[in-house]
Amino acid sequence: MAVERYLEPHQARQRPATLFEDLLGDAIERAFGEGVQTLPELVAYINRSGPAGENGEAWTEPSFAALMQRLGH
Amino acid sequence: MHVQTISINPVDRLLSKGLQNLWYPVCPSDFVQDKPVSLRRFGYKIALWRDAAGQVHALEDHCPHRGAPLSQGVILGDRLACPYHGVEVRCDGTVTKVPGSPGCKLEGARAALDFHVHEAHGAIFLFNSDTHVDAPPAFRMPEELTSPEYSNFLCYAEWRTDYRYAIDNVMDPMHGTFLHKQSHSMADGDSKATFQVRETDLGFVFEKAGQRGVNFDWTEWGETDMHWMRLEIPYPKTGGPGGNFAIIACVTPISPELCAVFFWRCRRVQGWMRDTWRFLYRNRLEARHWTVLEQDRVMMEQMELDANERENLYQHDIGLVRLRRRLRRLAEEQLEGSGAA
Repeated sequence: MAVERYLEPHQARQRPATLFEDLLGDAIERAFGEGVQTLPELVAYINRSGPAGENGEAWTEPSFAALMQRLGH
Repeated sequence: MHVQTISINPVDRLLSKGLQNLWYPVCPSDFVQDKPVSLRRFGYKIALWRDAAGQVHALEDHCPHRGAPLSQGVILGDRLACPYHGVEVRCDGTVTKVPGSPGCKLEGARAALDFHVHEAHGAIFLFNSDTHVDAPPAFRMPEELTSPEYSNFLCYAEWRTDYRYAIDNVMDPMHGTFLHKQSHSMADGDSKATFQVRETDLGFVFEKAGQRGVNFDWTEWGETDMHWMRLEIPYPKTGGPGGNFAIIACVTPISPELCAVFFWRCRRVQGWMRDTWRFLYRNRLEARHWTVLEQDRVMMEQMELDANERENLYQHDIGLVRLRRRLRRLAEEQLEGSGAA
């Protein structure tokens, strides 16, 4: 008989990702994949080809860093 | 069906349960909340609980009176009250109260087996010993877990295999080139390589000669009154700025055919890069790492339990040969020390 065992793919997050987070993650990975290394470059990249900020506003370095701090605590 | 060979060799018997006098991670911290839990680890059934201050305690899950499971009982701070006859046992193993027979010989006796507990890095660790230990050795883990320059996530899983297959798997970096060929981080690197063993203060490093920072190129065995392994895998460019991806791994035996694996995924990364890595880890990297780990689990679970009794090893296996020999030596020393050899 099979032994029951703990196998949980998601252990780091408390809830499923939102569509906004998925789009933001896509944009960040694309930016890194294209060689972006600094925060100003990353914010400029996401403003060009990523989702707008949570309230539809343009990203700034502080707003991006603050959101990452919240989601990546 | 697995056929379990019953070993009468005391070294094999000790190794199959897990070496003693070591710290072992037993579960993630959140496994133990407001009720006692019962876990099988390294040959024992163990009751764990938290007192009102959140401190974790651990006793063998066996009431010294008649052997009933203490974990089914009630938490009284640093004591558990056995559900069967109300016998109260303190976290140091002392029976503090026998309600049915006050003043009997059992009262005041240190009759239960207690385990020292250390909670760190998102996990609960116990010091495995078959006797009372007044003060356990210091708890030491590699800098990837202890230094503020690193950030980490714990991944915990249970695999239906002998714990030694899980250890062998980590001590065999070359499987990355084949088993994980399609993975997000291990596509590069030479599929033929020469390996060498290099001594360290804490153990040894098993590494590819002349290749570093390309793939899963080296793995380290470390002993700090706890057995751990360390390895690094370079991130693809999409991982963003920051250091390599490092793994600190521990494997804890549960039963002869079940083990608990602990993989701390670590990265030397700070500031916005740290937070962004942690966001990406939660959002997508964890799922990718899980897919890789599942390839390992499926392979390990398909190995017959006696597969390692009929092997033809080659040069890439000197790391695990070295480790198996080391573990046998430690087991022999433990048996000599206990007078059981």
